Amino acid sequence: MAKSVLVVGGGPAGLAAARTLGKLGVSTILVEKDSQLGGNPIKNHYHTLIPRKLKPSQVIGPYIKDVEQNPNVKVLLNTELTACEGEPGEFRVTLSNGEKHEVGAIVVATGFEHFDPRRKGELGYGLYPDVITNLELERMFSQEGKLYRPSNGQLPKRVAFVFCVGSRDRQLGVTNVHCCRYGCALSGLQGMEIREHYPDVDVFCYYMDVRTYGTWEYPFYWAPQEQYGVRYVRGRIAEITYSPADGRLRVKHEDTIVQRPAEVPMDLVVLVLGMEPSPGTKKVAKILGLSQDPDSQFLVPSDESGSNIISNKPGIFIAGACKGPIDIESSFSEGEAAAAEAATFIGAKVTV
Amino acid sequence: MAIHERSLVEPERILRKERLVVDGVDISGDWNLIILPRVINDYDLDFAKEIVNSPDGKTINQCYQCSYCTASCPVHNYWDERYNPRHFIYLARLGMIDELQKRADVMWRCVSCHKCTHRCPKGVLVEEVLKVILRTMAKKGLIDEYPSKKFDKFFTESVVEYGRIEDGELLFGWIEKQGYKVFKDPILKKPIPFIGETPEWLKQLTMKPLKSMNIDFLILNAKHMLFHPRTKNWSKFKQVLRKVMQEEGALH
Repeated sequence: MAKSVLVVGGGPAGLAAARTLGKLGVSTILVEKDSQLGGNPIKNHYHTLIPRKLKPSQVIGPYIKDVEQNPNVKVLLNTELTACEGEPGEFRVTLSNGEKHEVGAIVVATGFEHFDPRRKGELGYGLYPDVITNLELERMFSQEGKLYRPSNGQLPKRVAFVFCVGSRDRQLGVTNVHCCRYGCALSGLQGMEIREHYPDVDVFCYYMDVRTYGTWEYPFYWAPQEQYGVRYVRGRIAEITYSPADGRLRVKHEDTIVQRPAEVPMDLVVLVLGMEPSPGTKKVAKILGLSQDPDSQFLVPSDESGSNIISNKPGIFIAGACKGPIDIESSFSEGEAAAAEAATFIGAKVTV
Repeated sequence: MAIHERSLVEPERILRKERLVVDGVDISGDWNLIILPRVINDYDLDFAKEIVNSPDGKTINQCYQCSYCTASCPVHNYWDERYNPRHFIYLARLGMIDELQKRADVMWRCVSCHKCTHRCPKGVLVEEVLKVILRTMAKKGLIDEYPSKKFDKFFTESVVEYGRIEDGELLFGWIEKQGYKVFKDPILKKPIPFIGETPEWLKQLTMKPLKSMNIDFLILNAKHMLFHPRTKNWSKFKQVLRKVMQEEGALH
């Protein structure tokens, strides 16, 4: 049996898997198709991570450092998995850089991508500069350090968060019927950040349900309302228009509590994006023959195991957001668990 | 122009002008009728902020619209579904004044049983918050003075004058303020029960217990109606109280 492990994907789950494998003394190859490690949080310049309100550099930085410094881990950037043959325990993998390796186990951590809001044309993204995504708001905070309206550079008086853009939506086909899990909590956090730094800016969250599950209820739903005065309005935004008369946007919706249509002026509208499986996840599923959810195309764990990191193929473990929306700390834990499973699968002798 | 299915349109949304000129063109006659849309155009956030900033209105921000309060509310359950504390809180937080005004005739009907406040899972002081909403609306001239407020004033006047209330005077005085013609004796100008106009509910409410009441008790009540009981040494205290209330702006 081959004594090395291939980790596909250099985001939080892949980094955690490679780090743990390296620490266990297992020879590991980490392939990442991007030119840097860290995945979506680093690539998209996230500002603050839920739930512990830490910066991506604080959280992911140490993992990257550990992986890069560990002699057992070989990091291959700008590289993808292109083919895989052989049996569990003796996979022969081909990479896009032409290298061929024999590995005993594979950890798949190919992650997700954010929904492209241009697919919801009625929300005016790309048409009106003041309609932005929550990613762009994160970038505003982390890269530019200020809140402004892209149309004129001024501070908005009112900000609206539009929940569930690309989530829970059959109009987009069967692929987007799931909940993104992070959107409600992140909007609460961003609302608090806005209110903390700009107390005169009114923040509105347009929701159908607020799904700040588990222990996130207080810090990301109650606190924004009670301590920061973020307003929650029930109704899904159906259309965003622009009024040349005052240069402001109008969010069209039905206020389902008042049961009246509404077109309320807003200065900045933030679309809360859903999560979809990344192209890499779909590609790797085909190459490795992993089972996918027929609707969302996310990877699904084996029916025979209660653990969600065990795939339908022996010797292949799946971790992180390639299986569906997940938070970053859980991605780390899944990567670490997958590493332990992969190490035991190849019968590695731990040499810590 | 005629409106088909007029019953579907609230009268206040129908605008008909005798003479209507748009862009210099006289369109009076067939085209002089406009149905205003139902669309909410904006929120009145100044109104909402005034409520949050008042000491007894702060907890309004804690509401998450579960409706525990409304489900517990006796006024909602037994009297009028339009009395809905949860809904009033939602409307007030977003400053939807016209929606609140539509309910102005029921909003003051709280019986202060405090079930809502006692049960609220988020710790909203519901009863207090509703009073703040009413008070703010009255202060801004968005509603007429509401009956419970009138009663409170009448009650307070009686206490300030005598140091205590007298049930008969309070009851008949209140009925009189509501527009009923109360019969009074010509000398002391005191109301004589059941000779003038009496609301039907009061007749029903009093006749049954009256029959089974102790005669001494009835005599005592009649005496009190003629000679208003007052607290001992009240006149000195009254002067102090009035002065303080004047200074605090509590006297109207």
